[in-house]
Amino acid sequence: MTIALHQLRRRGADRVYPVLSAFLALLAWELLARAFAHTYLIAGPVEISRYLWDHAGLVARAAGITTLAAALGFVLGNLIAIALAVGAVLLPSLARLISALALVVFCLPLVATGPILRVIWGPGLGPQITLAALAVYYTTFLPLMVGLRAAPPSWFDLVRSYGRGRLSALVEVRAMASLPYLFAGLQIAAPAAFLGAMFGEFTGAERGMGVLTIRAMRSLDVAGTWALASTAAAISMLAYGGLGRLSRALNTGPPPLILAPLLDGGRRAGWRALVHPLVVTLVLIAIWWLSMEGAGLSPFFAKRPGDVWAFLITAPEAAAHRATLGAALLETLVLALPGYLLGLALGLGLAIVLVLAPKLARGIMPVAVALRAIPIVITAPLIVVALGRGATGTVTIVALMIFFPSLVACYQGLARTPRQVLDLFDSYAASPLRRMASAQFPAMLPAFFAAARMAVPAAILAATTAEWLATGRGIGGLMALTASTSGYGMLWSAVVVLAAVAVTGYVIVAQIERAVLRIYGAEQLTR
Amino acid sequence: MTSNSISRRGFLATGAGGILAATLGARPALAATEVAMQLSWLPSVQFGGSYIAQSRGYWRDLGLRVSLNPGGPNAPVEPPVVAGSALMGISAADYTAAAVAQGAPFRIIAVAMQKNPFVIASLPDKPVNTPKDLEGRKLGMALANTPVLKALCSLNDVDFDAIEIVPTQYDAAPLLAGQVDCLLCWETDLPVAMMMRGLKPVTMLMADYGYAVQSQTYIATEDSIANRRADLIALLRGEIHGWNDYHADPDAAAALTVKMFPDAGLDLETQKLQAARQVPLMFTDATEAHGFGWFSDDSIAANIKTLALLGQNVSADLWDRSLLEEIHAS
Repeated sequence: MTIALHQLRRRGADRVYPVLSAFLALLAWELLARAFAHTYLIAGPVEISRYLWDHAGLVARAAGITTLAAALGFVLGNLIAIALAVGAVLLPSLARLISALALVVFCLPLVATGPILRVIWGPGLGPQITLAALAVYYTTFLPLMVGLRAAPPSWFDLVRSYGRGRLSALVEVRAMASLPYLFAGLQIAAPAAFLGAMFGEFTGAERGMGVLTIRAMRSLDVAGTWALASTAAAISMLAYGGLGRLSRALNTGPPPLILAPLLDGGRRAGWRALVHPLVVTLVLIAIWWLSMEGAGLSPFFAKRPGDVWAFLITAPEAAAHRATLGAALLETLVLALPGYLLGLALGLGLAIVLVLAPKLARGIMPVAVALRAIPIVITAPLIVVALGRGATGTVTIVALMIFFPSLVACYQGLARTPRQVLDLFDSYAASPLRRMASAQFPAMLPAFFAAARMAVPAAILAATTAEWLATGRGIGGLMALTASTSGYGMLWSAVVVLAAVAVTGYVIVAQIERAVLRIYGAEQLTR
Repeated sequence: MTSNSISRRGFLATGAGGILAATLGARPALAATEVAMQLSWLPSVQFGGSYIAQSRGYWRDLGLRVSLNPGGPNAPVEPPVVAGSALMGISAADYTAAAVAQGAPFRIIAVAMQKNPFVIASLPDKPVNTPKDLEGRKLGMALANTPVLKALCSLNDVDFDAIEIVPTQYDAAPLLAGQVDCLLCWETDLPVAMMMRGLKPVTMLMADYGYAVQSQTYIATEDSIANRRADLIALLRGEIHGWNDYHADPDAAAALTVKMFPDAGLDLETQKLQAARQVPLMFTDATEAHGFGWFSDDSIAANIKTLALLGQNVSADLWDRSLLEEIHAS
């Protein structure tokens, strides 16, 4: 009786906490908005509600069309991610090529892809859907690659002992093992798809949330800007929550105890280590050339590998081109790197805090989703006002953009600690900190490294987008300038250099990962 | 779909049908030809004349079915025109010059904004009335526009280094928040937004201080001018007709724009103000004498001079007035 009452009271408190924290957040927001009303930068909940009430039809129609494009892109992008990951697991010899291709395509900056997509698709939703798909596939592909390997080797032995092959292993073992990772990817993808669809509208559209946002910002319509941002954030949060629910409904089994043998540490023969990247590079160049020729795109704006080679290497002004590009790249990297480390550390740190103090999770997760979902177009000027136009602003934007995927991946990874291991710690009455350090943290490492790898291109994208939209500096500013003044040679060179930087960063993280996972997650290193 | 209509036009231009059409001076009663015009920005009364031509059927009567493709912040005009997915595009003399320098075969065939719409906008308590006032002020602008500012300075003997440039987004908020003293923007957007909030911004039109760069210029490829001339002329004819209507009643153009794009978030009063403010930029003595879209040799010479200050060396070959001459001769 008393126990039941106690439980009831506790359940009541669990319900009150989120409501209370939401109320306090709204109150703080309103007060902040009133304090800064003269800056025309921030609107509070009262003004936003009034705008939404007055323009309900307009916002609903815009949200409908953008959500449609985002949803189609979400489905398309994730299907592609699943196909790529399955292909990489079934055909291990192609895995490296598939990963490299997926990475490079994800690196392509919106400034460069948007106009080309518009030319290919013509008027309509084509670019919106494509950019939404491009924004999501990579953050699903990487966790899925981890998940498809997150099964004990003994299970694969069992499949083999029945005389079955890779396909059976995929269906019987890998698919089930990967589900939680897949859903973590899908949750990360939801807000990204919405942002992708909005950016798609920037390539020329008559309706949608992106169109209305640009209009509102330019007409000093602060209430409108924030009402649109809130709507975008609300839709993303709904999608995030819905996917979380679906994930919990489908994923009832406890995580398995994975005991994988340590690798022998034998290194690949020297010449193969050199040949592989070369082959991958050649294939990428061939795909680039063939897709441009295949689509019959004019070399005026769709540059070929040879054009970029000429621009950077053989042209008379090549040295000047390289100097311009190099200076801009350096300016960007100096900001992207601290932002990357900060965002990753924040994601990891917050995930650990949330596991140690689960009650906080309910209040913080929605805020984290919202931060990711509010379009960078709107947050960038605010951050600039708060932190100035110097380096801090850009670093913060980069950190904000990659902190959310890192948080979700790490949080999900921590939850993959095998029950048996936790039971063992419990039976010794180990402290939560001890349990975190010795059991949960190691169990999370594969998910963390997947996050660290996907944050490499994400950090570059965030830095260049911030430069494009807010500061006008660095390689993002250079690309925006060259896109508007038809400097497509420089634009494509910048794209190539950025892709090369992303691949380099990815390889460095992957090397660290290999060294760490040889001890803590050897199953991830088997192909 | 596009390639289909192109091949039919190719047949008309080269085959007997083309000769027939040319000699009769009228188009044969075939199904309407589909063409697209690439606009340079999101839907607004900035393109009011085109919307009038569309809704009043001026192009339909000329045998065209025109789609007006919207632009946006990440939608450069030049690629669709080069690719042929748009027959004509709305650019500006400096952007066109840059594209031509990169190998695009463009010509400017008509000019909507005779005067460049760039202004320095400021607030009445610290106004910028002449370029000289810029010295010692904080100017908010996109860094990409630095050459524009440099050109204005050298035209008016202003010390460029005495201006403190603050990189900002294209937004009036930094001015109102006191982060900057003035903004580099268009006469027809940010000042309008400020006026709609009850403020009284001061604007200094750069075109009044020697900055001669035609804006909202109509561009087409040399290939189209040669081989799809009839379509281009019909497109321009409808456009001119629409803009003449616009001149007669800008408020009606604003109302039409708001009605045509209910989902674009347009406000009628804002559109009316914008419509009125772009009239003096588009309709001048030159258009009064020769018709909408006209550009004189003097205008070309002035543009070549300003473009040189922007680092773009062009010749009069960038312009092709023959289509306008053909239209206004008849």
